[in-house]
Amino acid sequence: MGNALIVFDPTTGPPIAQRVQAQFEGRLLRGYQEGLQQGFDVTAEVAPSLLAFLRNDLGCTCLVDLTAVDYAKYPEAQPARFGVIYILLCPETGARVKVRAFVADSAPRLATAVPLFAGADWAEREVFDFFGIVFEGHPNLKRILLPDGYRDHPLRKGYPLRGKGERADFEVYRAFTG
Amino acid sequence: MAVEKPFDITTTTLESAINWARSNSMWPMPFGVACCAIEMMAALMSKYDASRFGSEVLKFSPRQSDLLIVSGRISLKMMPVLMRIWEQMPEPKWCISMGACASSGGVFDTYALIQGIDQFLPVDAYIPGCPPRPEAFIEALMVVQEKAREGKASTQAYTEKAQQV
Ligand code: SF4
Repeated sequence: MGNALIVFDPTTGPPIAQRVQAQFEGRLLRGYQEGLQQGFDVTAEVAPSLLAFLRNDLGCTCLVDLTAVDYAKYPEAQPARFGVIYILLCPETGARVKVRAFVADSAPRLATAVPLFAGADWAEREVFDFFGIVFEGHPNLKRILLPDGYRDHPLRKGYPLRGKGERADFEVYRAFTG
Repeated sequence: MAVEKPFDITTTTLESAINWARSNSMWPMPFGVACCAIEMMAALMSKYDASRFGSEVLKFSPRQSDLLIVSGRISLKMMPVLMRIWEQMPEPKWCISMGACASSGGVFDTYALIQGIDQFLPVDAYIPGCPPRPEAFIEALMVVQEKAREGKASTQAYTEKAQQV
């Protein structure tokens, strides 16, 4: 355990959590601690300002990962169907922060994080590709892993494992098995 | 008195001489896209040593190779790339489909993966297994060599089908 960079004082709470709670009083859905990682659940509207606050004022300048979860059919009720998850790292203290922005089911939209974190570019494209969440203001929001002509978003719950006929419909198939 | 054949002359056709030479100098184009590629590398490297069969020149350029080894999963997006590579290889050419994934999609019966490359490419030898042992790879190589010696390749049927489209 020689590489534990930061040890939170359980009585006063970690400084990041205190400052976020003071700044976003009443606008957080939930704040919690998982191990050494602090988490904040917010709505899609609050997420950009929380990310900007974490990056500019609290030193969480490194975007470790950006992904999403479809909470349809999830055992516990969630505030909205999709959760877009940002994992941030503060390089100076080693603190890790998880921000989960809940996005509604119909026409899911969220402001892009690319102006704050350049590394969000491809990650947001991947979330768009597989979950169909539109990141408004993204400089180049198009599919990244699936073929360009793909029509659906396969990591949504309820999408059939074998697809909706894409394997048979694919243009290569049409040319060479037709 | 019977005419004796001089012992240092063998008669053959030019074609079978060329085929014999080809079969013993296969230049593989390794298309390793998943875990099977590890076994392919083992088969090609010194322990199993595919160069015993004349296959030591690994060409990562399709224009200089005549044996395509597809080892791994091919996604819908990768298949056009693989077909382009196949079309760039000069004839005569052969193709080995290595492993369950390349041959049939394997356990990955999903929206993203091609269920068997033989829907698009003419395959000369299939290797079952997940992953196949290098011995199985060598057996497939010998099957392809046998075809090459007989002057056979499944390219012909493929080319005709492609021209019909
Ligand atoms: S057949 Fe098995 S070892 Fe080969 S690529 Fe598929 S999963 Fe990997």
